[in-house]
Amino acid sequence: MSTKARRITLLVVAVVAVGWPAMLSDFSRSLATDGLIFGLIVLSLVLLTGFVGQISFCQYSFAAVGAFTVGSLVAAHHWSFWLAMPLGVFGAALVGALVGIPALRLSGLFLTILTVAVALFFDRFVLAPGTWNSFSGGLSSWVVGRPSFLGIHLDTSYRFYLFVLGVFSLCSLGVWNFRRGKTGRVLRAIRDAEIAASTLGINLTAWKLAAFAASAGLAGLAGALLAVSIGSVSTGGYDLIHSLGVAAVATVMGVGSVASAAAGGLFLVWGPEILRHIGVSSQWFNLITGGLLIVQLIVTPDGMVTDFQRKLKHLLGHRAARQAPASAAEVDVRERVPVRTGARS
Amino acid sequence: MTRTKASLLEVEHITVRFGGVTALDDASLRVNSGEIVGLIGPNGAGKTTFFNCVSGVLKPDVGRVTFDSHELGELPPHRRSRLGLARTFQNLQLFSGLTALENLMVAVDAHSQRGMLADAFRTPLARLEERKAEERARALLHFLHLSDRADTLAGDLPVGLQRRLDLGRALIGRPRLLLLDEPAAGLDTRETAELADLLLRVRDRFNVTMLLVDHDMALVMRVCDHIYVLDFGKMLTQGPPAEIRQNETVIRAYLGEAVV
Amino acid sequence: MGAHVVLGYNPQLLPGFTVIGIVLGGVYALAAVGLVLIYRVSGVLNFAHGAVAMFATFTAYEVSTVKGAPGWVGALVAIVTGAALGFAIEWLTIRPLHGRPALVKVVVTIGWLLVLQTAAGLIWGSTSYHQAVRLVSKNGFHLVGTDVTVGYDQLTTVVVALVFALAVAALLRYTTLGNAMRAVADNPDTARLWGISVNRVTAASWMVGSAMAAVAGVLITPLIAFDTFSLTVVVIYAFTAALIGRLSSLPMTVVGGFLLGLAQTYPRVFSSLSGTADLVTFALVLLTLGVLFRPGGRKVRVV
Repeated sequence: MSTKARRITLLVVAVVAVGWPAMLSDFSRSLATDGLIFGLIVLSLVLLTGFVGQISFCQYSFAAVGAFTVGSLVAAHHWSFWLAMPLGVFGAALVGALVGIPALRLSGLFLTILTVAVALFFDRFVLAPGTWNSFSGGLSSWVVGRPSFLGIHLDTSYRFYLFVLGVFSLCSLGVWNFRRGKTGRVLRAIRDAEIAASTLGINLTAWKLAAFAASAGLAGLAGALLAVSIGSVSTGGYDLIHSLGVAAVATVMGVGSVASAAAGGLFLVWGPEILRHIGVSSQWFNLITGGLLIVQLIVTPDGMVTDFQRKLKHLLGHRAARQAPASAAEVDVRERVPVRTGARS
Repeated sequence: MTRTKASLLEVEHITVRFGGVTALDDASLRVNSGEIVGLIGPNGAGKTTFFNCVSGVLKPDVGRVTFDSHELGELPPHRRSRLGLARTFQNLQLFSGLTALENLMVAVDAHSQRGMLADAFRTPLARLEERKAEERARALLHFLHLSDRADTLAGDLPVGLQRRLDLGRALIGRPRLLLLDEPAAGLDTRETAELADLLLRVRDRFNVTMLLVDHDMALVMRVCDHIYVLDFGKMLTQGPPAEIRQNETVIRAYLGEAVV
Repeated sequence: MGAHVVLGYNPQLLPGFTVIGIVLGGVYALAAVGLVLIYRVSGVLNFAHGAVAMFATFTAYEVSTVKGAPGWVGALVAIVTGAALGFAIEWLTIRPLHGRPALVKVVVTIGWLLVLQTAAGLIWGSTSYHQAVRLVSKNGFHLVGTDVTVGYDQLTTVVVALVFALAVAALLRYTTLGNAMRAVADNPDTARLWGISVNRVTAASWMVGSAMAAVAGVLITPLIAFDTFSLTVVVIYAFTAALIGRLSSLPMTVVGGFLLGLAQTYPRVFSSLSGTADLVTFALVLLTLGVLFRPGGRKVRVV
């Protein structure tokens, strides 16, 4: 859509995002806050999958790094949030780069297996309840207090919401800038034809690792914020099923656009809520998500939000009707499969 | 025309064996600054293998490839372009999800220093480099007569235009030596003639040296200053087009194929 | 990692752990065989393999433990359920995606994983401990020369696993369907030219493969925690075994399964670290992926 239309939309969204929650209950506000935090995780997938074309099923493991770093440092060792959080983000980015190393050789299918293995490894080993018992006084004793920002204590739900909104907006802006600029072009070039990209002078290793690190760092940031939002850290909240769920939602929404991040996050939060409201167990949420994922892959492969945006652009007569593969699953078609086996459709 | 002395690319006695097959046998070649050199040969002569050695994808068993006094075999691909070596692809390998403009811009991006952070915050440096990259890309699109397709996805372009874009992508980095891998593949007579013109214009305008590997005799005869002929992995002969056209051995090697 | 990590070499544990390792390995091998069959014939790596096993096993639980039917009836129900689920997944959600990249189909199976897992949780409760389906008594016999007791259930598990794995091999080698499956695995277009109904063969592979998963599920539940997520996770173990078999050779896959089972159990001889199974699996996954996908050729350098 034209710049003017886009600016107006953004303005409207901003006004709603800032104004409406002021009128909601505390509970709804904290839901919205969590929605934005989950939106950050979806955003991390937009970065990784939408640009680089690699699917990751271990984003929550990266989030856990952020959450546990903040949890232990802030709650048990009384560090300031503003020291612990960057450390958590950096730690998550580091782990992301580590995961990226084997990912340099793999693609598509086998990278997917790797990320599932990573998530399971985290689940069973790093996040095992026993691991943390003797460390920093044990998880259950961690009470993560709210930080202060520029002298304002973020203890009310509205203040914290605004803070998280700010963080989310900044990160979204950053990812959007990536998309428009060199980073987006380079990463998408690597996705489309990496050999050609390398002959042009692009250092594949460096960029792929950087993408993994950035994506993991974003997830880590989300984890750090989650620890503060909930006020505690639990080992069960960052497991494989969560990672699968967020990846499913990201795919359903579409990783081609930054807007999917907000939509995805809100969906993750309000879906279960709505279910609860109509008297259905929130367990159904995962089931519905899984079902939606299946249906979406068959019907709208680019993801619902991305598809909607494209249709809107088409409708408004935008010149370049982009048919670019923005679907999470479609993008990576190269598969290095051993010898005799066929990765055919 | 006698060959000038300034050698840019030196391929010395390369031999490549795949199992029991000798794909290249003591093949040598030289490309001097400012020349357009062609490498021709019948199917299976070893041209692709030769090209891969020169572009650094394949390391020869014997011999070496030296570009501007740098030995290529040891360098990773992304370093070679920093030296001024560029190539096109027989199967294009365009960035199909990027527009024509973006395809060219990313080639410029590849040489710029700014990192992800600068991008994320859109620093003044980032914005400046971005604008410059766009200008350069648009200028080259204009030269290639592709301006009206700037916002078309590369994957949506017809083959002829894709080839031009591939060429542009290799050129925009201002290389010193351009390696062309079967640039006429899939083109008809008219398109090939246009390509020949384009290559000559490119050489004049950008002062870039070229090594061209192709089947298409019309193209090679028209464009090249000097031609090498490869057959069964061995260098048969070399010389200017006029000589090669009349060379008995060459004609015999191409028996069954049309010689222009 | 608990507060105490017992480290030390306990050699007398070896024979006992060997038995456990072999039993686990047998189950992994069977699950992996089913997975590889589905992958080779239909080109899809079924992430929901473990979830199918889990769901089928729960139906066995429902029939046997809850409703009181004999164990083998429950097992039969599980097999049928497994096959039915396999068919449903292929027919409803994989076939419509014909022509799309294989990764899309894999993501679809992830969707099924979520669906099956939560469905099971809703039907049977996600955290309760369930009594596993017992096929054979737990009594055992002494292994000659050691003081190790091999339970009849353990013996049965290994034997049944091997029997079914061999049955699949026999199916592939000696039956028309098996030949058709191998033809499709090699080249579906050629197979079509030979008059083979690729759709039917593919559906059959999913049914057989998922039935194997169901059997593996029923066999393993007495050995591990029986809840809605542990079994789902066994899919990764099956993957590992399948990777060892390079996703193509069934004998190697079986070997891989046993290897994994032993590799997961032996470290316990040295330490009581509770994550060792997954640590070992993870290491093996990395190893096999690294070995399998090293760029080939000493001269060709890509990247």
